[in-house]
Amino acid sequence: MENSTYIGEHLWAGQLGHGFVILSFVAALLSSLSFFLSTKNTTYLPLARNAYYVHCFAVLGIAGTLFFMLFNHYFEYQYVWQHSNTEMDMKYILSCFWEGQEGSFLLWTFWNVVLGLLLRKQLHNQVWEAPVMAVFALVQVFLASMIIGVYVFDYKIGSNPFLLLREHPDFSSAPFLSKPDYLSKLNGRGLNPLLMNYWMTIHPPTLFLGFASTLIPFAFALAALWNRKYEDWQKIALPWTFFGVFVLGIGILMGGAWAYEALSFGGFWAWDPVENSSLVPWLLLVAAAHTMLVNRNKGGSLFTTHFLSIGSFLLVLYSTFLTRSGVLGNASVHAFTDLGMTGQLVIYVLTFLFIAILLLIQDVLFRTSYIIGSLLLLAAAFVYDQTATILLVWLGASFVITIVAYYRYFPREKEEEELYSREFWIFLGALTLVLSAVLITFFTSSPVFNKLFGTDMAPLKVADYNNWMVPFAIVLMVLSGASLYLKYKKTDAKTFYKKIAISAGAALLFSVASAIPMYFLNAPQGFSSQQAITYSLLLFTGLFAFFANNQYILTVLQGKLSKSGAAIAHAGFALVIVGALVSTSKKMTLSKNTSTKKVSALGEGFDENESLLLTKGDTLPMGPYLVTYSKKQRKGIDVYFTVDYFKPTKDGKKEYDFTLVPHVQDNPRMGKAPEPATRHYLGRDIYTHVTYADLNTDTVTMEKGFTEAKNYVGHVKDSIFASNAIIVIDSVRTDRTQEEYEKNDSELSVTAVLKCIDVTGKAVYAYPKFQIKNNTIVPLTFEEPTLGLKFVFWKINPENETLEITMSEKLSNAKDFIVLKAYLFPYINVLWAGCIIMGLGTLVAVRERVRILQRKNEV
Amino acid sequence: MKKLHILAIVVIAIAIGMILTSLKSTTTYADFAEAMENPEKEYHVVGKLDKTQPQIFEPRVDPDKFYFTLIDNRGVSKPVVLHKSKPQDFEKSEQIVLIGKMSGNAFQANDILMKCPSKYNDGKNELK
Repeated sequence: MENSTYIGEHLWAGQLGHGFVILSFVAALLSSLSFFLSTKNTTYLPLARNAYYVHCFAVLGIAGTLFFMLFNHYFEYQYVWQHSNTEMDMKYILSCFWEGQEGSFLLWTFWNVVLGLLLRKQLHNQVWEAPVMAVFALVQVFLASMIIGVYVFDYKIGSNPFLLLREHPDFSSAPFLSKPDYLSKLNGRGLNPLLMNYWMTIHPPTLFLGFASTLIPFAFALAALWNRKYEDWQKIALPWTFFGVFVLGIGILMGGAWAYEALSFGGFWAWDPVENSSLVPWLLLVAAAHTMLVNRNKGGSLFTTHFLSIGSFLLVLYSTFLTRSGVLGNASVHAFTDLGMTGQLVIYVLTFLFIAILLLIQDVLFRTSYIIGSLLLLAAAFVYDQTATILLVWLGASFVITIVAYYRYFPREKEEEELYSREFWIFLGALTLVLSAVLITFFTSSPVFNKLFGTDMAPLKVADYNNWMVPFAIVLMVLSGASLYLKYKKTDAKTFYKKIAISAGAALLFSVASAIPMYFLNAPQGFSSQQAITYSLLLFTGLFAFFANNQYILTVLQGKLSKSGAAIAHAGFALVIVGALVSTSKKMTLSKNTSTKKVSALGEGFDENESLLLTKGDTLPMGPYLVTYSKKQRKGIDVYFTVDYFKPTKDGKKEYDFTLVPHVQDNPRMGKAPEPATRHYLGRDIYTHVTYADLNTDTVTMEKGFTEAKNYVGHVKDSIFASNAIIVIDSVRTDRTQEEYEKNDSELSVTAVLKCIDVTGKAVYAYPKFQIKNNTIVPLTFEEPTLGLKFVFWKINPENETLEITMSEKLSNAKDFIVLKAYLFPYINVLWAGCIIMGLGTLVAVRERVRILQRKNEV
Repeated sequence: MKKLHILAIVVIAIAIGMILTSLKSTTTYADFAEAMENPEKEYHVVGKLDKTQPQIFEPRVDPDKFYFTLIDNRGVSKPVVLHKSKPQDFEKSEQIVLIGKMSGNAFQANDILMKCPSKYNDGKNELK
């Protein structure tokens, strides 16, 4: 079809944007190749650098064009139409930009460009420039390919964000789009309202900057393998790695803060696959940064550092695969939709794994046989239908090669680490972090295993994740509390214990005093004694880590800020753990309905009566409060429910305390999404969300009269549900036997005994009956006044022994109500404070490392 | 390095042990027939809402009970007692995952996950 038949399209924008995409891809490819060549021949360097600059320019061009299109509402483009509209607030335009997969890849590419430029400048003309930038540019080639949107032999490579709506395979058949003037009637779909939250404008860029910064140690590690110079890159990479630890850590916690504030799963961390897959690279990055410290201060730890640096980035790639390929399916609430790029993502992960292993091998014969072996397996995967087995064989072989490489190519330490040395404790910490990362990855990958091996593992439950991770946290707390008191190489054990004794004693005192009432006397429901012990241990070690690091700052460093980055970060980390422990394990359900205490026969996990029904205007006790649902109001797509909290006073009256307004978003994209409202106190948070409500704000309830009678057919012992009671058909009675009936003028009355159990479990009886006179049935209405129910018992069906009863309810029974859930999170602010302190400590450490690096360069 | 090596091996052994024990305790996806065989065990049952059967949610009586009927992926239909409030948009769900145990003829679920078509809706309907 001719383009000129459509009115008002801006075809130049898409062509420009896609032109930039192709340019960025080609330039990155050229740059990577020429950087690679310049590792041997420096004459290629200018070309490589210029190609990289062109790539950077092209990436900025892509982003600029996309923003321009979003700003000017070019809805003829699918991406603009899908993620924005004319009504939305322009402050969310950034969120529109990265809401889709293509945009988030672009965001990642953008940060790589920025970091690459800074790093290249730093490395200018050093031996590291060419190999590090070759890796950087290669990663950019892959990222650019994710948005290139071209077809190679019917196989789509990447998804182009500059595609016209009418050209998009999903929409091109829509008849609406064939009209020449379609654009004048088209508005965008807009941003998912759940993302219109300030956390969501800063969380993704921070997270992606964190992902991008894992590339720096990775690129250095590969460059080091290539150059066979394992030592001196670490001093350059160290500040960058801690920068990555800081940014990625903050990014993850921002995600937690968003979940706590805007989502209603009742907490800040749900071990969702998407959360896990950003946590795992961070754990490895933390480990890598610490083993680099060992290397800088004492030497050695070469293999470990390379392994962790490479692993962290590979796990970023793996997490990209998990969250973007659609493999998670049901397992996650916020995985991206499948854009049909699964194959490409798998290739992406495997290619970088392949390159890393290839570079680990250092003799030519071995290397060649690895390449040939891998290619053979790849060919076999195409020919035979055994992809899973072949993949396993390849991964197993790669693992073996890694171990062989470790023994063969890496210099060995001559002497063993002392037990009381900082490096030994750092290695222990790294090992613990890696192990927890392995476990989390294993649990998170269950959908992948299901796909590969046809198993049917379900995702692990949040409580199980928590229990699994407690032992790891205990070890980490001990290490991060005590390790600063140890010197590199050797420390006298006696002085070491003497120094930490004060903090340990204080922690013991505090933790015993608080753990006994928290986990033993007043244990949460369903708490096992094993849990009580491990949780108490974590509390003890967490407090120890906090005290010990503070003591370290005060006594050893004597408050010298520039040197105390590590101690501050460790103390912050300890607070994060203690805050998470206490607020999660002592989370209290306030809305537990204590008036109708039923012991569940179904055991654990079936916590009955977690919700509270609040009728408009009524005041009910909830935990230490009295609550009233006072108002319902609609603003746009949000329906707000005003819930007032009162405190009961001694004289039996109530005193106003505060108001929370949880709301339900009538989200056109995701359906109804409840969003919580939280009252923050220093020592606790009161968190409320509405789990069930009528969102209709204009229902008028007539206070008088009854609803239309409804007929119910049932046996004796069956039940009928009224809006305020369960009615059980208890029995049927007649006043006369068959004989008496026949004798006595054929008169008989039949009564149905109905047991009406109200909300509080109290029972009242209703006795609707009918009379039979001369074979005619005369039903009588029975009204139950306390519940406002009317019954008419009018028929018995002898053939199947059923009764027919009609019921109608007082209209005032149908008053507006909400079902509410409320939790108390104790000391959750300790967690948030810990996050900030940990971030600040890491920043101090980064600054100090940069200073050391600069001083060394000057000398 | 020896001390570290021994430690690493011990720790890795513990990890493998942990994974193996976790495999035993983790729940699996199943259909009603399998859940009925092991009433003590918790399962994830995937299926669809049986729209021909009534749904009962009477929050004034009990806001934490919701009765409906699910057809599992094998086409077996069983009554379900969900020990939670009725989820918003329940009727719109395309696929339901229930987490719980079989008890007699009814499935007792303590959690529910729903896949709503609107969530994955890419807007095709808006262009009609």
